Amino acid sequence: MKSFNFFVIAIFFVITSCTIDKTDYEAEIDSEVPEYYEFKEAVSLTSGIYKISIEALNGTFYKGYNELHLKVINTQTNQSLNTSEVTFLPVMTNADGSTNSCPHQYNLEYNAANGYYNGYSLFTSESVTTASWKLYVSFTVDNQKYEINKDVSVEKQSNKNLNMTAFAGKDNEQYFIALVSPQKPTVAENKLVAGIYKYNKPTTPAGTFPDPSQFSYSEVTGYTLKLDPRMPEPSMGNHSSPNNQDLTQQSDGLYHGVVNYTMTGNWTLNLIMMNQNGLILKGTVVPTDFTPGVEGVKSELYIDTLF
Amino acid sequence: MKYISIALLFLGISVTAQNAHVHHDSIKNLEEVTVKNAAKKKIETEMKMAVSVDEYLSSSDNISFIKRGAYAWEPLLNNMSTERSTVTIDGMHIFGACTDKMDPITSYVESNNLAAIDIKSGQEGSLHGATVAGSIDLKRRSTPFSIERKWNGSYQSGFEFNNKQFFNLGNVSYSSNKFVADGSISYRKADNYYDGNDDEVKHSQYKKFNTSLGLAYKTSDLSSIRLDAIFDMAKDVGFPALPMDLSLSRALITSASYKQLFKEGLVRVIDSKVYFNAIEHYMDDTTRPENLVHMDMPGWSTTYGLVSKANIKKNSYSSEIQLNAYDNLSIAEMRMYPQDRSKRSMFAYSWPWVTTRYGGLSMNNYWDISEKSQLSLGGSLGVNYNYSKYVEFNWIFHPGAPQEKTRFLPSLHAGYQLDIDQFNFSVGTGYGHRAPSVSEGYGYYIYNSFDRYDYIGDPNLKNEISYEGNASVGFKNEKLSIQGKVNYFYIQNYIIGRVLSMGSPMNYQSVGVKGYTSLDYATLFNMSMNAAYDILQHLHWKGTLTYARGMDDKAGNLPFIRPLSYQTSLHFMHKNFGIQTSVNGDFAQINYSPEYGEDQTSAYTIWNISANYTFKINKVKTVVQVGAENLLNEYYSTYADWGNIPRMGRNIFTSLKFNF
Repeated sequence: MKSFNFFVIAIFFVITSCTIDKTDYEAEIDSEVPEYYEFKEAVSLTSGIYKISIEALNGTFYKGYNELHLKVINTQTNQSLNTSEVTFLPVMTNADGSTNSCPHQYNLEYNAANGYYNGYSLFTSESVTTASWKLYVSFTVDNQKYEINKDVSVEKQSNKNLNMTAFAGKDNEQYFIALVSPQKPTVAENKLVAGIYKYNKPTTPAGTFPDPSQFSYSEVTGYTLKLDPRMPEPSMGNHSSPNNQDLTQQSDGLYHGVVNYTMTGNWTLNLIMMNQNGLILKGTVVPTDFTPGVEGVKSELYIDTLF
Repeated sequence: MKYISIALLFLGISVTAQNAHVHHDSIKNLEEVTVKNAAKKKIETEMKMAVSVDEYLSSSDNISFIKRGAYAWEPLLNNMSTERSTVTIDGMHIFGACTDKMDPITSYVESNNLAAIDIKSGQEGSLHGATVAGSIDLKRRSTPFSIERKWNGSYQSGFEFNNKQFFNLGNVSYSSNKFVADGSISYRKADNYYDGNDDEVKHSQYKKFNTSLGLAYKTSDLSSIRLDAIFDMAKDVGFPALPMDLSLSRALITSASYKQLFKEGLVRVIDSKVYFNAIEHYMDDTTRPENLVHMDMPGWSTTYGLVSKANIKKNSYSSEIQLNAYDNLSIAEMRMYPQDRSKRSMFAYSWPWVTTRYGGLSMNNYWDISEKSQLSLGGSLGVNYNYSKYVEFNWIFHPGAPQEKTRFLPSLHAGYQLDIDQFNFSVGTGYGHRAPSVSEGYGYYIYNSFDRYDYIGDPNLKNEISYEGNASVGFKNEKLSIQGKVNYFYIQNYIIGRVLSMGSPMNYQSVGVKGYTSLDYATLFNMSMNAAYDILQHLHWKGTLTYARGMDDKAGNLPFIRPLSYQTSLHFMHKNFGIQTSVNGDFAQINYSPEYGEDQTSAYTIWNISANYTFKINKVKTVVQVGAENLLNEYYSTYADWGNIPRMGRNIFTSLKFNF
């Protein structure tokens, strides 16, 4: 009976204790990476009886790529307009009074299915006390052009999977690459979407501010982003993953590829940007050796991610 | 009397069913019964009275071991690793929770809760489920019902000097005509051992606690129910061949069974059992501050199952039919910590929540064609289902691999035995499929410290298909017995790890990535020769010689194939005194496989000696034993020692056993 008693105690011990809990893998990724699905109003501007409502994910403008949904509402009839020509221009004013913009869609397109104007803005920096962003929006109703502007706040993007980078290519053009998706990668094959933009240098002197010709950006077409994802952490010894696919442009104008993340943690997307002719404009080939204890060498063009 | 006759009936059945292929005249049958009964009392080798389960298994011809240290050796049956064999406890399927196979099932039992180990080679072992190499069934101790109330107990204690292993094993059983209880408890604790150069082998310590309880109640004259449980806990187990150790492993193994005997009719016994077992296995490297990367590797394995067996006998025909069904969930995680601990740790599943479900019906049939010959024919048909919850891990290397996979696993075997005077002959053949294991199918960056590669499973692997042939010939007279056995396996779609051109290592010690792939085929040949001779009435000699050869489809060597090995022993026993000595060793490993990470292992020879004395204190039978293993303190490691970790040097052992 003694052993029986002991046994009962042992069983009790087993049932009541669990020394290590299983990892709640999904919750763990959620805790590190916020994922927003919902477009909410980030700012509204009014001009007379018209109200402009600009929606962004989570109702916030973040540094990096922002998809925008814009509505022009007649506040008297409470109806959305759909025939207007809408332009959108973000401008940042620095402490010294100089101004610059960021990649954006100037002429917004009406999306009839969803009932809003589609656009994007790739804010290149966060709002700080010395530098602030202002949106200049114009629309035309009944052949009358309305122009309004408003200061907005651009917040820090805490999700590193939506990081961006700005750089000068070997062709002396100013380029911008921003990650668009996935917001929340997993240890899996992830469809990777990025936007590549360049600054169109003005060819004419500046007109009245804000002169859109001075703040012109465009999507680059037909480029290729070669991808080599690696874990930069020294203990991971330049670990990489198989079956990745370089990013190429698809019909939506964005660049699509595949990144495989083999485990959670810090990753570096090492990139090489090539133009239509295969000429490398930025980026270097990184070593592929497995070097435990040594931080991985990054390409001169890279974007860090974390999940 | 009734109970005795029932007991005899059952014994008769189990003997004919299990050992029918060995002997068949009635006198020998009786011998078998007594031998079996004797065997049920002790799990011990000739050399050593207090052995671990591993040591006991290694005394069998067709078992060899992969060793990563002093604890939890992985048994290789017919020179094949545990994926290819089914290892069960009383027919219950249990799966280890360690991706590195640091916890073979044999590590979750203790010699004092086992009665016997039933090893079947090749497809003959398909009774417990699909297999290629065969089956190892660990039989738990179960005391029969008795007419009188009886208490039995034994206590065994001992000390081994080399690694300061101190062990205590206790058993108690109670039996009456309605109720039986068996209990056992044990604790072993060992420090690091010392090799033949008297150097300490660091990280080879262990602590193991094991207890078991079995309760049986007779529900009618011919039926009984039985509840069994084993709880095993190992702590602080070092693996010198690995970069990490075991901080804790726990297993709870439970079952409830119902047995019905029949006095007449075709069906003689039906024994059905439901079972549940849960294993936790936590590897970490907190004991290895020299490691570049701190890493945790916990694993869990939970199995529910059903095993139901019927024994049929009519005239010269007997049969066993067994239904096996189980559901297993295997989970293994790895978490690596960056040097700056404030940064995010890195996480992945090495087993991404893999469910395995198996259901199968197996049958073995025996016909006594004549007094001297017997034919056996058997087979099984199983359905194996796998589901990977986080299949996206598997998609990284195998894009688009199915999340679920169902496989059909047929098997067939046939054998013929013939006794002519003092000679006996047997031939057999078999055919069988097996499904890839969880690691082979769904493993993800499982670090193998033997060849230093990270292994990736492939959900699309084909079934491994084995074609085997076996034969044996034996001679026995009053003084001499000789038995020779051979078997040959031709295994189609042989699963093995091959270097992948893609991917890069994840574990910092590793040199590359290997994927489990199928070779077109591989072949394996095993041979053993046993002889025993009674030199004098009290002096007996035994010898064993084994040889194996394994080749892949390009005639290259397979890894972990035992080189030519031998064992010879002398055993003297007179009255209460016994002395044994044995010499065993391997020849040099000529056919090693650099491709699979092996280097050549040289020959070694080990000499062991022990003496025991039996006496009575009051009414308590007491046995005391003193002996030495590796008496000459040879420095050696075997072909299957990971990282060429040296084996234990001279080890003096003592033990004391009381039987109440």
